[in-house]
Amino acid sequence: MTVTRITDVEFGDTLPVFDPDTRLANVARFVEAAHWNGPRFTDHEAARAEGLPGALVPGIMSQGFLAAMIHRWAPKAEILYVDTVFRAPVIVDQPCHINGVVTDLDEATGEVEIDLTVTNDAGETRVFGTARARLPN
Amino acid sequence: MSNAIDVEALRTAYLNQVFDEVEVTLDAEETAAYAVSCGEVSPCFTDPSDPDFQAPPTLPASLHPGRRRPKGFPKVVGLGMDAGKAVHCHLPIRAGVKLTAKTHMHDIYTKTGRSGRMVFFVNRMEIFDPEGQLLASADTSSVVRERPEQ
Repeated sequence: MTVTRITDVEFGDTLPVFDPDTRLANVARFVEAAHWNGPRFTDHEAARAEGLPGALVPGIMSQGFLAAMIHRWAPKAEILYVDTVFRAPVIVDQPCHINGVVTDLDEATGEVEIDLTVTNDAGETRVFGTARARLPN
Repeated sequence: MSNAIDVEALRTAYLNQVFDEVEVTLDAEETAAYAVSCGEVSPCFTDPSDPDFQAPPTLPASLHPGRRRPKGFPKVVGLGMDAGKAVHCHLPIRAGVKLTAKTHMHDIYTKTGRSGRMVFFVNRMEIFDPEGQLLASADTSSVVRERPEQ
């Protein structure tokens, strides 16, 4: 379900879970576009040679997943702020899930605050953050 | 000899002074690819022909400064890692517009845990359009865990 205005939102609302594409081809497309190309993001063997568990989804891509999830929930939302903490690596080719919950809202300004997490199939939080967005009144 | 970082001295000497300035012009196709790969679906982010086409809000976090520390900044001893990114969005960022990105040290602070003291360094990159309007800022936090005294 999508929301179009602030009056559609209630404190504590859970946003629909978004499962982003973490496959190697998509991460390769991202790092090419972002000018962040490097084998640790696009080559599992090269990443393991660096001591990593596998190729990494860049933190800035995880941050992009969080913003995309908000726009999928509220297509007219204007994102004002996204703060992200990288707690543990997100690994390429492993599914992850973007979760969000509304923790504050102000009907006068149309602003909502959303707590966000990136979790893996084991339920482990890999990335967490907070966003503030403005919705139409 | 102590390896402890003198945080107050660093704050006094380095905070809020622009130490890097680079010019950036976003390519429309790359900007759209960035958005699509992150899962954006709105044409204003994914379709360069959309009349409101703009960069996805977190793109500023991907921009690289020319240098990561001010000139003369002392070498910090310890285990360093990326701690997070924050983006403040003020106005849409458009492809094809010459942007100026200015970076300063925004904060230096400490937290103390069971394994010792951690020092956080926050660089803030501010992105301006040719008229000098602030479009966005991107904070990059790095943390250094100080090595225990020998």
